[in-house]
Amino acid sequence: MKAVGARVPRYDGIEHVTGRTVYVDDVKAPGTLWVKALRSPVDSATMTGLDVSKAESLPGVHAVVTWEDVPLLEYGHLSALGIPADEPLLAKDEVRYKGQPIAVVAAEDEDTARAAVEAISVDFEERPALYDVRKAFDEDAPKVHHWGNWYPHFEGEMDCRQIRKGSVTDAFEQADLIVQGVYRPAAIEHVPLETQVCLVVPEANGRLTIYSCTQALYFSMGVVAAHLQLPLNKLKVVGGTVGGGFGGKVDTATETLCSLLALKSGRPVKWRWTREEEFLCSSTRAPWHMEIADAVTKDGWILGRKMLTLHDSGAYARFSPYGLTKHSFHHTGAYTIPNLEFDGYVVFTNRVPTTAMRGFGVTSVSFATETHLTRVAHELGLDPYEVRLRNANRIGDTSPNRIVYTDPSIVPVVKALAGGMDNELAPEYAAMSREQRSGELLPEHLVGQLGNPEDH
Amino acid sequence: MTQATEVLVPGSADEAVKLFGDGNDVTVIGGGTIVVPELANGRRSAGKALLLTRAGLAGVSRNGSRVTIGAATPVQELVGLEAPVGPCAANVADVEVRSQGTVGGNLCAAVDEVPRGDLQSALLAVGATVRSAGAGGIAEQALEDFLPERDGRLILDVSYDEPEAGSFVALERPHAHVYTALGVSAARAGDGTIRVAATGLAAHGVRLPSAEAAADDPGKAGADAVDDVSPTDDALASAWYRSKTLPVLVRRALTELKEQA
Amino acid sequence: MNLTVNGVSRSIESEPLTTLLDVLREELGIVSPKAGCEQGGCGSCTVLVDSEPRRSCLLAVAMVDGAEVTTVEGLGTPERLAPVQQAFTHHYAAQCGFCTSGMLIAAHAYVEGGGSGDHESIQEALAGHVCRCTGYVKIIDAVAATARGDEFDLSVTAASARMTNLGGVQ
Repeated sequence: MKAVGARVPRYDGIEHVTGRTVYVDDVKAPGTLWVKALRSPVDSATMTGLDVSKAESLPGVHAVVTWEDVPLLEYGHLSALGIPADEPLLAKDEVRYKGQPIAVVAAEDEDTARAAVEAISVDFEERPALYDVRKAFDEDAPKVHHWGNWYPHFEGEMDCRQIRKGSVTDAFEQADLIVQGVYRPAAIEHVPLETQVCLVVPEANGRLTIYSCTQALYFSMGVVAAHLQLPLNKLKVVGGTVGGGFGGKVDTATETLCSLLALKSGRPVKWRWTREEEFLCSSTRAPWHMEIADAVTKDGWILGRKMLTLHDSGAYARFSPYGLTKHSFHHTGAYTIPNLEFDGYVVFTNRVPTTAMRGFGVTSVSFATETHLTRVAHELGLDPYEVRLRNANRIGDTSPNRIVYTDPSIVPVVKALAGGMDNELAPEYAAMSREQRSGELLPEHLVGQLGNPEDH
Repeated sequence: MTQATEVLVPGSADEAVKLFGDGNDVTVIGGGTIVVPELANGRRSAGKALLLTRAGLAGVSRNGSRVTIGAATPVQELVGLEAPVGPCAANVADVEVRSQGTVGGNLCAAVDEVPRGDLQSALLAVGATVRSAGAGGIAEQALEDFLPERDGRLILDVSYDEPEAGSFVALERPHAHVYTALGVSAARAGDGTIRVAATGLAAHGVRLPSAEAAADDPGKAGADAVDDVSPTDDALASAWYRSKTLPVLVRRALTELKEQA
Repeated sequence: MNLTVNGVSRSIESEPLTTLLDVLREELGIVSPKAGCEQGGCGSCTVLVDSEPRRSCLLAVAMVDGAEVTTVEGLGTPERLAPVQQAFTHHYAAQCGFCTSGMLIAAHAYVEGGGSGDHESIQEALAGHVCRCTGYVKIIDAVAATARGDEFDLSVTAASARMTNLGGVQ
């Protein structure tokens, strides 16, 4: 590993400092049209009377696209992972979140595109909207999604992601104390310096060249091909330097609509979102609601954990079931808890659908677990480093979903952290390692959860 | 970009006044930091665009203790002035935006979702007068009389007597691109009169007469100041938050003033 | 209208209220200044106007008729990097690079204006510039290094097909 610790060149270092790095908006094609979108101004409504004829006939407008122009209106981006399609590319007879795209236009310039959007007429009949995931389960809650208010298609048509391990009932009976906590990290907007942007050029040979800021080029290519019902060899996707993505540029938010406009107008089209659109309409990291109850002993063992997670998916599923699944696998953090009862729901609300952001699904539960561990230590009157080291993953311990750890690093990390904070550990803790549990570090209640590292 | 029906670039103050006329359908562009993005984003249409770039309305001059600031003076040029004006100016945006945005633009800026017009608290506190043009000709009036009626006026300059002492206190901005949610200026004139003013509480900067009346007791002045205003929620802070922090800022501003013998 | 851009006199055809940013990017094809927010809030559009750093998205081109405009392309080239460009490369002060053009212009102006290189004054000068990738530390380090007049051997950190002189950059 010669590169580790060495100074190596950034392959794009010189380009960055000389202004030569090419971002999508820097690519110019002659005759490019400007794209603007008509977006829902309300959180939840039925939609009728969509009429784009006036927009289409404005001088300088070359194409207007609505749901009727989309060959396959609903395509599940993660259908390969078993998540069915639920989201129309453009709204058809209802809108479920403020900012939801209803139509897109391609015109000679930005002002004409804006005027065209304003010339589209549509009627909304507003409905009560749901914003609070905790209220989603009330009988009188507004209904957000045609599947109900939470995702019902986990394997076996279960309506939540469940982890069951050992016996949480026994753990709670044997505990000296139950420590509870509720954790609610808010939504976070990615705020890339480069807003969502896409340029699609229709080629003379019938292919489309798509310049995209996507973080997931082949993935986006597949999404476009599916919506347009085109074979992959009709698309050429040119990725490039992403001006900041952080997980927010995997939704394929612009490419399909630009492709439709390019096909309909026969001209290159470019859609560059405004900063306002980026803030109001682009997907965010999800807000989460997590409730944890740990069954603990006086000397700091965590015998069992009951946990409920409500993940706010916004108005559609997108990648949320996948994010929640990862979250569930990591819901004990880097700590070994043998008795588990985890229920996680992907809840729909009338907000912009949420998406990935660095550490998708897991940063939420890391925050919750670490905070909760410190809470446990405080309630027991114990040192937070010691509680962590005692319960930390070791070789042969198993994860919530029974993966056997072969090389967990939490023990050396916590020890290094203590050292860095000038916190001297008691000798027995300073001597701890990641080696397989034995002796005092292998109490009765942990025996059954061990696995063979060779089985990993 | 919504283009103007006409772009006018006067070469002198007199020409600017003439072209402004009564201001009907005229969009004045001083530094452009507020108006240009609104035009570019289609939020405003220009009508006749009056660019003040060459109108000779920029510059800070002194006549004894009387300071006169041309309307097209960039905010950055005020940064070295004594408190409250100097520190108030330094708290506006960042150096690039301050060097482009003008004093006149700051005084004319509309408060909508964000509390624009930071300089107003400092200039109110030093008892500034405004010379402006428009329907009825050139007028000179106290800033606090100008502000509620500033539509349809073209500011030419702002003048004030240097205060004997001054202070400026504001809620900390999370970033240079954020407007000041609440700012308080206080100044003591040569004859001992104390004026206190704030931005972020109304449709423009306002004096706080109850705080002025109790200026010798900064704590009381802070508590009383709340009676002078009815703050509203906006993008930066809630009315509740402003009503809780105003007394603190007033108390600090007047304490600082007291400490300047 | 006329602008001198990176030393070249250009006649401007765009409408007078077109932003300088759009004139540079759309009419003149100079794309280093970026449209990050188009409201002056992020700094990625900053260019030098008569040697002063200004947000090109906040300037109507008629306001700068006759001015000298300098963009990153005019600061230096891969074959001849300006000191601030060398410092940014050496200190890895760019990740995605989108904010970098604006940062370089502000940094260049700061150093040319005699900036002392202490962190506080650098932060003050660059306060209008947002970066979402780097966390700013390496940017500030690079500006401080430039202000100090550090010299850099870029043979390790600057590899590019366009580099013709790997033994050291002028």
